[in-house]
Amino acid sequence: MASRARAAAPRWAVVGVVVAVLAALPAIVAALPVADDPVPAAELRAAVLASADVQFSGYAESAGGLALPVTDQLDAVADLFSDRTEMRVWWRGPDDHRVDVITPAGETGIHRDARGTWTWEYERATATRAAATPLALPAPPDLLPATLGRRLLSETADAELARIGARRIAGRDALGLRATPAEPASAVRQVDVWVDRASGLTVQVVVLGETSEVPALDTRFLDLELAVPDAATTAFAPPADARLRTAEETEIVLEAGRRLVPVPFPPTVAGLPRRTLEGAPPGIGLYGRGATLLAVAPVPRRLAEGLGRTLAQSPDAVVEGTSTRIAAGPVGLMLVDPRDAEPYLLTGTVTLDALVEAAAQLPVTRAQR
Amino acid sequence: MIAVELRKLFRRPRTWAIIAVLNALPVLVAVLLVLTDLAPRPGEGPPFLSAVLTNGALYPLAALAIVLPLFLPIAVAVVAGDSVAGEAQAGTLRYLLARPAGRTRLLVAKLVAVLAFVLVTVVVVAAVGYLVGTTLFEARPGAGTSVSGTSLTAEELAVRTVLAVGYVGVSMLGVAAFALFFSTLTDSPLGATMGALAVLVTSSLLFTLDAASPIAPYLPTRYWLAFVDLFRDPILWRDITRGLALQAVYVGVLLAAAWANFTTKDVTS
Repeated sequence: MASRARAAAPRWAVVGVVVAVLAALPAIVAALPVADDPVPAAELRAAVLASADVQFSGYAESAGGLALPVTDQLDAVADLFSDRTEMRVWWRGPDDHRVDVITPAGETGIHRDARGTWTWEYERATATRAAATPLALPAPPDLLPATLGRRLLSETADAELARIGARRIAGRDALGLRATPAEPASAVRQVDVWVDRASGLTVQVVVLGETSEVPALDTRFLDLELAVPDAATTAFAPPADARLRTAEETEIVLEAGRRLVPVPFPPTVAGLPRRTLEGAPPGIGLYGRGATLLAVAPVPRRLAEGLGRTLAQSPDAVVEGTSTRIAAGPVGLMLVDPRDAEPYLLTGTVTLDALVEAAAQLPVTRAQR
Repeated sequence: MIAVELRKLFRRPRTWAIIAVLNALPVLVAVLLVLTDLAPRPGEGPPFLSAVLTNGALYPLAALAIVLPLFLPIAVAVVAGDSVAGEAQAGTLRYLLARPAGRTRLLVAKLVAVLAFVLVTVVVVAAVGYLVGTTLFEARPGAGTSVSGTSLTAEELAVRTVLAVGYVGVSMLGVAAFALFFSTLTDSPLGATMGALAVLVTSSLLFTLDAASPIAPYLPTRYWLAFVDLFRDPILWRDITRGLALQAVYVGVLLAAAWANFTTKDVTS
C-alpha cells in the first residue's frame, strides 16, 4: 500500500501542475501590460469622430442595467437597455452594414443599405423592410461600441475629456478617454470610451450613473478585425418562403408625435439649452447635449393613465400631487398629469431634481387635437 | 482489450434500451407537432423546432437540440459512470486487472468504449430524427434556409449537419470524462453517474446567473448549443472553436486525473 502511495504522488503532482497552469492562463493573459500612448484627449476624440468610414467586422456584447418601465409596444427597446445583447457585425460604411443579434436558437439580422434596412427574424421567418429615416427608435446597431462612442463624443466639449490610460480589448491596444458631463442636471457621472489606437474605432463604452458603481451600459467588442467585409455578406435578399412586411413601429411613434400640438417650449429648462433634431416632431421638446439629454412630450390621456400606473408600481416611485417620477439608473422619467390640462412626460439622462425643475419651467400644454 | 470492451458494451441490452429511450422523446415531440401544428413561439423551445414545420429535413438538428440539455448527458453519464465502478461493484474488476495488459490499457479500453457509445448514440438520434422528420413533415432535402436567411444547397446542409453531429458528440466527451473519472473514485456506478450529473446541473445553473458571468466561459455546458452557429451564414466559428478547446481541456485533465487515481489505487473487489 505504501508503494502505491509513493507511486501516486508524482502522478497527482503532474495533474495538479497541469490544472494550475490552465487555471492561471486567463489571469496571466489579462495581466499582460499595455503600453499607454500620450495622445491628447482632444486628438483621440477627433480620431473617434473620423472613424465612421473605417471598415471592420467583429463580435460585440452589450450589457444594459436599465429596467425601463415602458408599455408593451416598446418592449424590444427596453430589452436593449436591460439585457445582454450579443452582436455580430460587418461594417462597410454608415449606409452599408449588417448587425446580427445572436440568440442561442436563432438570430435577428439588420441589413442596412442606402435606402433603409431589412430586418430578418429567423424564428418568425419574417423579413421586414424599413425606409431610412433621420429619426428612428433605438436598435442594436446603435449599441455597437463604434457607433455609440462616436455619438457620445460628437457633442462632448474638450474641457469635459480626460485620458485614463490603456488596456487590451478584443486583442487590440485601446486608449482610454473619460467624458465627465459638465451640466449639474446630468445623471451620468462619467462615460469611459476605449479607442483602438490604430484605427480610431471605439472598442468599449462604459456609462456610469451618478449613484451606482454598476454600469448603466457596458458595450464592448470581443473580437475585431480591420478588414473590408464582403459586399455579399452585408446585402440581403428575402428567402422565397419568408413572410414580408413593412416596418410600422417608427412611423407609429412619429405619427403620434405629429399629432401633438406644438407648445411654446422655453429655450432652456433645468439649465439645459433647447436643441433641434432632424425628423423630430415639433410637439416634442428636446434639451441638452452629449450624454445629458432631456425630452419633453405631451402624451394622450389614455397612454398617460397606463404609463402612470406602470411608474407608480415601481417601489422607488415618488408621487407628489399630480406628478409621478422614478429613476432607472441614470434615466429619469416624470409624468405630470394636471387635472385641467393635458398630461406630459419628461424623460432623459437627468436627475430627478432636474426633472422637477424642468417641469416647473414648462408651460401647461393645451388640449390635443 | 478494446474489442472486448466494445463487444461487451454493445451486446448489453441495456445499452440499446438507453439509446431507444433517448430517441423516444424526439419522436413524441414530432408526433405532437404534426397533430397540433403548433410550433414554439420565437425565443422559446429548442433550436430548429419551428423550422421543421416547413422543412422536415432539419429534424435531426431539432432532435439533437431536444435531447442535448438533459437526456443525452444522462445517458452518457450512466454508461461512463458504470465503466469502472460497475466492474468494481460486480466484483469483476480485480479479475480484469489480473490480465497482463495493465491498468492504463484497461482505462484506455473503457474510454474508447464510452467514446464509441457517444458517437453511436448521437448518430442514431440524428438518423432517427431524419427518418421521422422526412416522414412526418414536408421535407425539402434539396435545399434549406440558413439561420441568417440565406439559401443553403443540399451539399452545404448535409456537410453542416455532419459537422453538427460531430460537435454534439465532442460536447458529450466532457460528460463522459467527468463520469469516467468519478467511476475510478468509487465502487458505486450510481455515485459516479450522479457526480457527473451534479457537475452538469451546477454548470447549467451558473450559466443563467449574471453573477457567474466571469466564470461562464469555463463552464462545461457553456458552448453545447454552439452547433446552431454552423447554420449561420457565414458560419460563426467563435463559440465552436472555444467549445472544442474547452472540451479538450476537460477531457485531458479529467482523464489524467482518472489515470493518476486508477493506476495507483488499491483494487479489492
